[in-house]
Amino acid sequence: MAEVVFPRLSENEPDAEGVLATWFVSDGDQVASGQLLGEVMVEKVSGEVLAPAAGQVHLLVGEDQTTRQGEVIARID
Amino acid sequence: MDDKTRLDLYRVMVLSRTFEEAILREYHADKKPAFDIGAGLVPGEMHLSAGQEPVAAGVCAHLRAADAVTATHRPHHVAIAHGVDLDKMAAEIFGREGGLGRGRGGHMHLFDPDVHFSCSGIIAEGLPPALGQAFAFSRGEDNRVAVAFTGEGAANQGAFHESLNLAALWKLPVVFVVEDNDWAISVPRDASTCIPSNADRAAAYGIPGQRIDDNDVEAIYTTAGDAVARARAGEGPTLLEIHTLRLWGHFEGDPQAYRPELADVPGQDPIPAYEQRLTQAGILDADAARAIKDEASARVEKAIAFAKSSPVPAPETALDYVFA
Amino acid sequence: MSATETTTAAEGAPAGQSGRKLTTARAMAEGIAQEMERDAGVVVLGEDIGNYGGIFGSTTGLLEKFGRDRVLDTPISETAFIGLGIGAAVEGMRPVVELMFVDFFGVAMDQIYNHMAKIHFESGGNVRVPMVLMTATGGGYSDAEQHSQCLWGTFAHLPGMKVVVPSNPADAKGLMISAIRDDNPVVYMFHKGIMGLPWMAKNPRSVAPVPEEPYETPIGKAAVARAGSDATVVTLSLSVHHALDVAEKMAAEHGVDLEVIDLRSLVPLDSDTILSSVARTGRLLVVDEDYQSFGLSGEIAARVAETDPGLLRAPLRRVAVPDVPIPYARSLERAVLPTPERIEAAVRDLCKA
Repeated sequence: MAEVVFPRLSENEPDAEGVLATWFVSDGDQVASGQLLGEVMVEKVSGEVLAPAAGQVHLLVGEDQTTRQGEVIARID
Repeated sequence: MDDKTRLDLYRVMVLSRTFEEAILREYHADKKPAFDIGAGLVPGEMHLSAGQEPVAAGVCAHLRAADAVTATHRPHHVAIAHGVDLDKMAAEIFGREGGLGRGRGGHMHLFDPDVHFSCSGIIAEGLPPALGQAFAFSRGEDNRVAVAFTGEGAANQGAFHESLNLAALWKLPVVFVVEDNDWAISVPRDASTCIPSNADRAAAYGIPGQRIDDNDVEAIYTTAGDAVARARAGEGPTLLEIHTLRLWGHFEGDPQAYRPELADVPGQDPIPAYEQRLTQAGILDADAARAIKDEASARVEKAIAFAKSSPVPAPETALDYVFA
Repeated sequence: MSATETTTAAEGAPAGQSGRKLTTARAMAEGIAQEMERDAGVVVLGEDIGNYGGIFGSTTGLLEKFGRDRVLDTPISETAFIGLGIGAAVEGMRPVVELMFVDFFGVAMDQIYNHMAKIHFESGGNVRVPMVLMTATGGGYSDAEQHSQCLWGTFAHLPGMKVVVPSNPADAKGLMISAIRDDNPVVYMFHKGIMGLPWMAKNPRSVAPVPEEPYETPIGKAAVARAGSDATVVTLSLSVHHALDVAEKMAAEHGVDLEVIDLRSLVPLDSDTILSSVARTGRLLVVDEDYQSFGLSGEIAARVAETDPGLLRAPLRRVAVPDVPIPYARSLERAVLPTPERIEAAVRDLCKA
């Protein structure tokens, strides 16, 4: 089981709030390691969420939901 | 400069002038008694290059067929000097199927892909595509160059400045040649341009700039040679401004009432002057000059005959060639 | 699968795709990348298309993949770099040039319509200009008069350039590949609102399945985004998303069955698909985010009228931007854009008779 974590886009503020802007996969999809799972935004900066491992992904936050850097936003098993 | 080169320059200038004189004749022949721009076998605007031959001959002598040239609404001398197919060029000017553009383009829109020649009727807008040709060439191995010809009036257009900056920034193998014939139609350069020499504008873009003042084909040849060599060596663009002479009007039909020194103009014709210079140097004599002129006449009349015998495009084909 | 996905799959993208989704922006970039892999002559030029990945994401990832030799950030010199694209295309390359906002065409239109579009014709077919001019269009996020226009009617009006306008990620990739492979100049106009950008409100249809392999979506062929029998809605770009939303609502709440045609290309325009739909439904609504007068909606009306005005059982309707510059204030902008509310009102009006 692997955790998918909201990327740290802001170095200055490690706990900065951001948004999960777009999921490219649906809950329960099979994903490959390194696959582009989603896109996040912290203020003006956007970032990519890549799968740390292969397996079935379970999405833990919804699109446009406010989250924090470092928070677990999905699991892969 | 060796004798052969000097004679070749003379030969090219004579061919060019002979062609322009033939076009002048054909253009006006059927527009009488009063000038009607849309009448006759060669309708439309006509911008002839008499007096400006030294620029074309001196610059294009350094070019290969694989080098690109973009020219203006006054393109014939440049086309001839760069080796554009004379028959097809004449047929295009006459708007015939056998023309370079199958009659679709006419005198201001001549394209000869065999020698990478093109021209456009929009002032200064031939510069950006020349950049693109140079860009493509710079990615190859055979040190090809692009030369963009334009007028002194064009040096105040945005495209001129954008093109110089981008060519300098990307060190493109392009040479910019400004033909300063004193007149942008009826507006003299001192009424349009804030500085006395466009060559000085080169400094603003960090590239070499050179002005040649006397329409002298040999000075043009030497300076252009340096600029083309720089480009081929990967050293980037050069701006040349050449003070030349527009012997006739801006366009055929131009009464030139605005031109106070008109009476003096024929006396400054560069071709008889060069002929005299070569004669004095012992390279040319009356017979040789005559032979060159006769050869030019024969070549030009053959082209005119080809043009006249080429079919007029069929109206049903008017929508062809919009897309490949 | 939604009607959109089925139809676009049938009309160019390989069928049966689900799973890997992309935004329209990433789909465009993937199309360009795959062509760059296939053909060394494909290069990308424009403002901020390198490091930034295009301000609307159209060139995301290209610089990292292909380097500065093939992905070139240009100075703010549209005439020079669009003209440079033309010259490179004449010499056999296949440049993809980005005009950052279509609204900026004014500073470079000569190179576009007098050179890029005309060289092939002027040369009697002897010279080709195989380039893509891609550009961002559209409003809805308060970017006001000079940064919100669509203007595809203007480009479609001038002969010599193809015009394509994708509405969704799968078509965006397929049309980009087709555009790059086409030997003609293609103006590729992408609405900012369909790009799926994380920093702009997006319709869910902006993120959708996109086949991973390269494929061509045909230029000149419209797609039936939703089959229906009561009325034909002809539209393009972001308005396809709104029309589909309205169609779902009208079907669920009022039993009205709309056919939505996604034009995808303006030049060539797929008259056959439009006319055969109108022949069946007898009712036509054109939804166009470009200015109303003297443009696309009038063109479609003319094609119907000159084929057979009897096809229409009711006067045609059009929802477009009225002839006004696009205002800044949100309340005013929403009043002039072809919103779902305006589309629904027009459908009710069209179908009541």
